[in-house]
Amino acid sequence: MNKSFLKKLFGRYEVLLLAAIIVFSLIIGIKSPAFFSLANLFDIFRSSVVQLIFALGVLIVIVSGGIDVSFPVLGIFAGYATVVLMKKQNFGADNIWIPILIAIAIGVLLGAINAMAIAGFGIPTLIATLGTAGIFRGFMLSYIGSSFISDIPIALDKFATSDLLKVQVENQPLARLHILIIPVTLLVIAISLMLNRTMFGRSIYALGGGVEPTRRLGMGVRRIQTKIYLLVGGLSGLAGILYVSLQRKANPYDLAGSELDVIAAVVLGGASIMGGYGTVTGTVLGVILINLIKGNLILLGVSGSWQRAAVGLLLLIGVTGQAISEVRKRKRARMTAALEEANL
Amino acid sequence: MNDLLTKFSHRILSDRKLTQLLVIAVITFSSFSLLSKDIFFSGSNFTSMAYQIPEIAILSMAVMLSMLTGGIDLSIVAISNAAALVAAYIMTHHEYAKGENVYLWILFSCLIGIVVGLLCGLVNSVLISILEVTPILATLATLTLFNGIAIGATGGKANSGLPEEFLRLGNGTFLGIPTPFIIMLIVAGILGIFVNRSGIGLKIFLIGTNRKAAQYSVMGDRKVIAITYLVSALLSSIAGLVIASRTSAASPDFGSSYILLAIVIVVLGGVNPNGGFGTITGVVVATAVLQFVSSGFNALRFSQFFYLISQGAVLILVMVLNVLVDRGLSARSKSKAIGN
Repeated sequence: MNKSFLKKLFGRYEVLLLAAIIVFSLIIGIKSPAFFSLANLFDIFRSSVVQLIFALGVLIVIVSGGIDVSFPVLGIFAGYATVVLMKKQNFGADNIWIPILIAIAIGVLLGAINAMAIAGFGIPTLIATLGTAGIFRGFMLSYIGSSFISDIPIALDKFATSDLLKVQVENQPLARLHILIIPVTLLVIAISLMLNRTMFGRSIYALGGGVEPTRRLGMGVRRIQTKIYLLVGGLSGLAGILYVSLQRKANPYDLAGSELDVIAAVVLGGASIMGGYGTVTGTVLGVILINLIKGNLILLGVSGSWQRAAVGLLLLIGVTGQAISEVRKRKRARMTAALEEANL
Repeated sequence: MNDLLTKFSHRILSDRKLTQLLVIAVITFSSFSLLSKDIFFSGSNFTSMAYQIPEIAILSMAVMLSMLTGGIDLSIVAISNAAALVAAYIMTHHEYAKGENVYLWILFSCLIGIVVGLLCGLVNSVLISILEVTPILATLATLTLFNGIAIGATGGKANSGLPEEFLRLGNGTFLGIPTPFIIMLIVAGILGIFVNRSGIGLKIFLIGTNRKAAQYSVMGDRKVIAITYLVSALLSSIAGLVIASRTSAASPDFGSSYILLAIVIVVLGGVNPNGGFGTITGVVVATAVLQFVSSGFNALRFSQFFYLISQGAVLILVMVLNVLVDRGLSARSKSKAIGN
């Protein structure tokens, strides 16, 4: 192993994040050995799975140079509307695929409204999604329903407790690994491949790098944007119905207001808010790190009410570190440029 | 000549947004007044609107200021809650001796609250101007941090039981006009002088128009940006105190929906999200428009959530209108240029 390889390895932000996760785990584990149980590991997965799917959508939008604040509302709209529809029409209660497909379809439909505002009229993404978020939420609460549904379709309810494997270690609580680990892992790999290996994925990065250069490369900016918001709508719809299923209830007031938290996780994962940079690995690690801290602060002897402050501090360190390294990189680039010029 | 023409058309464009907004305000106001003569068009509704507009208007001005430099301040609500909580804590944890001037103590607590708000703003300033963190990220982090500290310190509980004299500030009237409304007018007036008549105000616009050019002209752009976020924090703190005295409580998670609402208002008010252009009048009028819409639908007995739809729809419609008119104008100027 030569030096430059090590340097390259530690220069990668994802490695830093992984190191932070390991250090935190060690600290928590030393303080309270209960942390190192299979049950806890599986719980961290379960509690972060919905956020992870939302985060993948947010990553795509941020990489493309936009900001979406409508996704949580869109997600709960899709989840809640699906449950209401299925209960009213009384169909498909014992099939898990029906609600998932309906929710994704509703998500894509709402995503199309976002796409129309953004790609069609060229409204800045933040403002367009602020507007649509209000419309979606208001529409759901006024016309679809504003009451809490606790008896969701049976298959959705059962899905909350479908475990892939149950492990019983002595003296420890039963560890349950939810079956979602398989589809979500596949989804993560699929999004990663899409971003890195397909023309569409590369065009998302190009768009984030600059709208005008993308246009001059001969890529249809509007087409890319439309596809992005349809895809993100579908992802958010999926996350919404999974949220409803895992909670075993459909509450239309849920999720709204969590948009900034998810964006924070993606930013912590190293995605550049200016667009053009961001990795799926970083996003996954960012979500895990935040949920690790949120869920296990109590084991460190810190009261649960300080959760948010801890996340804020972490975020502050993350964004400041990123900014400082960015400034350094720029300085170094300037220096080498100056040196080269001197040598010439 | 061409230069003059573009300048002139820019003027019209910038003024156009305000004119357009005023037209929308008049239309919404008069249509709701016609539709609901006895509820919307009534003194009690006007008074209640005058109590509700100021807090969000002041918060929106804070967002506007950061947006003028091309940044954004997401931490406004966290700062306003922090200021209100500290002021409320000092007010309620004091044994009032007989004959003591209560107003003096209230003034003192408010000042300490504002100082705490300014300290929060200082954190933003350092992050953004010295460490060069992107404003939206810096304030996203501080929003979470300040809000987290407030929740941790209070255990998430609201602080109520504020002294009667303090509540008069938010619920009283002065010459028949609700006091918060007067506070808003004073704040808007002072901010107007600061933004339009002071050197720093001019620099704020210049930085928002072209940061690079501002840097090359050595105007101390970092200092100006630092001051911007401090003033934004000051405005947020004032809004926090107004909210606390109107609702007679300070809570760590009050008004989290206000962040996005403030952005909606600022954009509706014609502030350019990329910086460099915006008027305080526009922001105040935009706040009033959204209040008309929300009170109006309420008076017409629409679903209580209908205002969410209307807010979103108003925002999208105004943006679409802007885009369409801009496209039309640029197409016309292009064809003119070709004709020449």
